[in-house]
Amino acid sequence: MAATTGSGVKVPRNFRLLEELEEGQKGVGDGTVSWGLEDDEDMTLTRWTGMIIGPPRTIYENRIYSLKIECGPKYPEAPPFVRFVTKINMNGVNSSNGVVDPRAISVLAKWQNSYSIKVVLQELRRLMMSKENVKLPQPPEGQCYSN
Amino acid sequence: MAENGESSGPPRPSRGSAAAQGPASAPAEPKIIKVTVKTPKEKEEFAVPENSSVQQFKEAISKRFKSQTDQLVLIFAGKILKDQDTLIQHGIHDGLTVHLVIKSQNRPQGQSTQPTNAAGTNTTTASTPRSNSTPISTNSNPFGLGSLGGLAGLSSLGLSSTNFSELQNQMQQQLLSSPEMMIQIMENPFVQSMLSNPDLMRQLIMANPQMQQLIQRNPEISHLLNNPDIMRQTLEIARNPAMMQEMMRNQDLALSNLESIPGGYNALRRMYTDIQEPMLNAAQEQFGGNPFASVGSSSSSGEGTQPSRTENRDPLPNPWAPPPATQSSATTSTTTSSGSGSGTSSSSATGNTVAAANYVASIFSTPGMQSLLQQITENPQLIQNMLSAPYMRSMMQSLTQNPDLAAQMMLNSPVFTANPQLQEQMRPQLPAFLQQMQNPDTLSAMSNPRAMQALMQIQQGLQTLATEAPGLIPSFTPGVGVGVLGTAIGPVGPVTPIGPIGPIVPFTPIGPIGPIGPTGPAGPPGSTGSGAPPGPPVSSSAPSETTSPTSESGPNQQFIQQMVQALAGANPPQLPNPEVRFQQQLEQLNAMGFLNREANLQALIATGGDINAAIERLLGSQPS
Repeated sequence: MAATTGSGVKVPRNFRLLEELEEGQKGVGDGTVSWGLEDDEDMTLTRWTGMIIGPPRTIYENRIYSLKIECGPKYPEAPPFVRFVTKINMNGVNSSNGVVDPRAISVLAKWQNSYSIKVVLQELRRLMMSKENVKLPQPPEGQCYSN
Repeated sequence: MAENGESSGPPRPSRGSAAAQGPASAPAEPKIIKVTVKTPKEKEEFAVPENSSVQQFKEAISKRFKSQTDQLVLIFAGKILKDQDTLIQHGIHDGLTVHLVIKSQNRPQGQSTQPTNAAGTNTTTASTPRSNSTPISTNSNPFGLGSLGGLAGLSSLGLSSTNFSELQNQMQQQLLSSPEMMIQIMENPFVQSMLSNPDLMRQLIMANPQMQQLIQRNPEISHLLNNPDIMRQTLEIARNPAMMQEMMRNQDLALSNLESIPGGYNALRRMYTDIQEPMLNAAQEQFGGNPFASVGSSSSSGEGTQPSRTENRDPLPNPWAPPPATQSSATTSTTTSSGSGSGTSSSSATGNTVAAANYVASIFSTPGMQSLLQQITENPQLIQNMLSAPYMRSMMQSLTQNPDLAAQMMLNSPVFTANPQLQEQMRPQLPAFLQQMQNPDTLSAMSNPRAMQALMQIQQGLQTLATEAPGLIPSFTPGVGVGVLGTAIGPVGPVTPIGPIGPIVPFTPIGPIGPIGPTGPAGPPGSTGSGAPPGPPVSSSAPSETTSPTSESGPNQQFIQQMVQALAGANPPQLPNPEVRFQQQLEQLNAMGFLNREANLQALIATGGDINAAIERLLGSQPS
């Protein structure tokens, strides 16, 4: 929160990530996305896991998509790397390894440092509901990318 | 000083682990933490010991959310919590939030229907129109089903329930959850031909006592059924799955619009309570409960009936397939919210006709048929149940009384399109067939598994014989076998929703066993000229334990053989020239004033000989 108030204030990376960690644990938001550290001992706060619950009335309905998010050293100035772990068929996601193409997803392409992991996850979920994605045939549930 | 006394002080309640008062418990006990469980729809707080396992947590949750533990998926900080983990392991402390997703159990294609239902028991009224729309659109189906005797339930897809109604339920569920199957069903030409006959549909529906009851209460429904235009339109739409989806969508939209009109919500509610509920409850006995019972009782019905993704083809927990067209009535209902009551009731009845059709058909085309037959042989009781089901009876009766109807149904079967002469021969035989169906001997024959097996063996034997030594056939007295088969297979007919058509159509699924090939020696005129008279009495005995063939008579046998022949001849079917086929219809169209023969022919071909539909096509627009 503090990161966005002053335009000139740059919040250090770790502070930001700790804030996001706390938000993830407290379940801020509407309950359709979740995120947290992949490894609680990870002091660098780099590797995160995310979860998106498929929106209703789409083909993703009621599936739970697991993602890996990597916040590099330049985060939040640079966008994180996002990768789906659960197989999904969606525009902007590489179908063989689940990597989310940063150029295809608007929040990643036009990243701002006020964005956060939550924003990324919510945006991906919103994209699931977009016309171009809402009916794409999906692989059977429960499959994961091999890497 | 004494006064100071021992204020025993505030009583020290030794709080058990059920205390939900925050961290005030004794140090020796595990700390109770308050965890919020959040679903997309709601959230609840739970007080659990800190060291409990995820499994225990789920148990507590399942009580509050009224689902089973194996339906619950817990997510914390982006990770799914496995049952054997503990809360501490994941770092779940006091005051944190865990996300919950409730899965449905029946998700063959990964689209769930229950979770929203379970999770959304107290939802906002905003979701009501959606949920009302689906009950409206879907409740009609139970009727359609009922009217056909729910025979569609018979293609049980290999379910092993011995209880007939369970079979039905399972069938419904499978059907519902499988859009591909729905598509398959709708595209089956048999369905389509069935659907194209409004009279048939109407009769079948009227034969259902529950429907009759409903009609008494709501005369609009009978208007609907009697209005050929609407029927035809409904059926037309039923035939076209894409259109169906479109209609469903429109209907949903219309209904949600309706809600926003002042007083609209009440109208919807009225609609539901007056019409759908009795319909659903009436159908309840067949379908194991009114899925919307809880919906109706709460003022804001559950999200559970939210139409699922894509084209609202799959209206969730309702037991029956989505009906096609209600669009015309839906539009009228939007315009006049007061008229909405009747509009939707008519629409639901319309849905009935189609739903009825939905179920009639594809039985044959589904792999379920095979397994059904297998089950039949294994479970004689099933057949007894089936045949004695009241709706079955009533259907049979209505068919017997109206031989034309039956004739028409049969004749529309693809088997016969190839062989018009056979059609002619079939016609007179129909009443005899129907009689046979109702013959209790037949029933007992069918329920005798050994008999069925014997018949199968005979069929197989004949087929082998046909391939090995075709020349041998005429001298062999296949009349026996075939006759026996014919009549005994006849009873297999009722397995399919259309009694009289039964004997014919099940030949197809019995495919591998069925095509006896040239064993029908007394071929219909024009096919094989072998012309060995069918007479052969049932002397040389097939190892038959059936009792029905005793009523075998010459004409019956001949008839059956011809059928078999037709079946053999029907693979592959060769269509005679469409002009010839539609000669009669062409003349009619001509007489009506459609002078363009080419166009007429095209239209007739496209509609498979249905004059009414062809006319619509020719006119180039849908009369509303």
